[in-house]
Amino acid sequence: MTDNTPVHRQPPAWLTGLREALPLLGGYVPVAVSFGLVATQAGFSTTEVAAISTLIYAGASQFLFVGMAAAGAPLWLTVAMTLLINIRHLVYAPNLAPWLTRSRWWPWLMHGLTDQIFALAHTRLPQIAPERRLGWFSGAAGLAWLSWIAGSVLGAVAGEWLTRRWPLLGEVMPFALPALFLVLLAPHFTSLRWSLALGISMAAALVLALGGFANVSIPLAAAAGALGFYAIGNRPGGDGEAAS
Amino acid sequence: MSASMWLAVVIAALGTLALRLLPLLWMRRRLHRSTNDGEGSNTLPPWLRLLGPLMIAALFGVSLIPQRQDSVGWCATLVGIGATLIVWRRTRTLGWPVIVGVATFGLVVVAVRIAG
Repeated sequence: MTDNTPVHRQPPAWLTGLREALPLLGGYVPVAVSFGLVATQAGFSTTEVAAISTLIYAGASQFLFVGMAAAGAPLWLTVAMTLLINIRHLVYAPNLAPWLTRSRWWPWLMHGLTDQIFALAHTRLPQIAPERRLGWFSGAAGLAWLSWIAGSVLGAVAGEWLTRRWPLLGEVMPFALPALFLVLLAPHFTSLRWSLALGISMAAALVLALGGFANVSIPLAAAAGALGFYAIGNRPGGDGEAAS
Repeated sequence: MSASMWLAVVIAALGTLALRLLPLLWMRRRLHRSTNDGEGSNTLPPWLRLLGPLMIAALFGVSLIPQRQDSVGWCATLVGIGATLIVWRRTRTLGWPVIVGVATFGLVVVAVRIAG
């Protein structure tokens, strides 16, 4: 998937990013529609739903925000819980930093660094020529952001009708996310040590989410995978390959 | 929405942006100090290099849970994952495996409903 095509034959970088982010829409739009529906049922107007999705732009924490606000929880607690859920984002940007160019736009583009964009960029940025990375990221993150806002507004305006009319679509389309994550993850199964660590992370996240701990499952599962990685490496005869 | 609610939205938004942005500024400073060219993952601390793929693995684990958590949902997930993996091994592309995976997942759901 490396960009080896001569520069003059390549489409604009933003267009490549936009095209490669298209699979994300299958996961984003149904969830955004659900958010719009839930938020209007909690008493928020369409404009307010659009503002929350535009400004906060973080799936799970937006659901928590409107849920706690509607239940009358103290606003400081609502904000604190919203930020606590997003704490996993702390490790995303440093992982991408070696591939980001010196442009002053990068810090502002971090608003679009969601879980899914991180997963996509973590795989693609190292394969893209440095001069195309800013455009690629803008296209991918921009499409994801706009689809999230549009989906939220659609949910606020017509969410109930949509879920009644096409219930199957809401059930099938979100499968785009695990399929995309799998494609992004597959190249990392390079050794027994990596395979076991990744397997531990996956299994731990699945079990924790099924157990009702979806919000903390991602950082906890990643930590469990890291422990496994180092435990396997420290065993006599363990695969001593370093993190790559 | 009251003024205090708007304030809460703005604080939550700025806080979320800070969680995404500040670590980048920290890492850029670190990279600038530690290397001349700053290109490549070798400049990352080993634990951070490890966490990237593991976070994606965790995201994958969470996303595996189907909307309908019954035998149909789980069966469609399993078959869809298999189809995605097969197409990825053949094409090594980003889009086709996802399209085939979603289509297979949908076909299993529809087929089981028709059969049932």
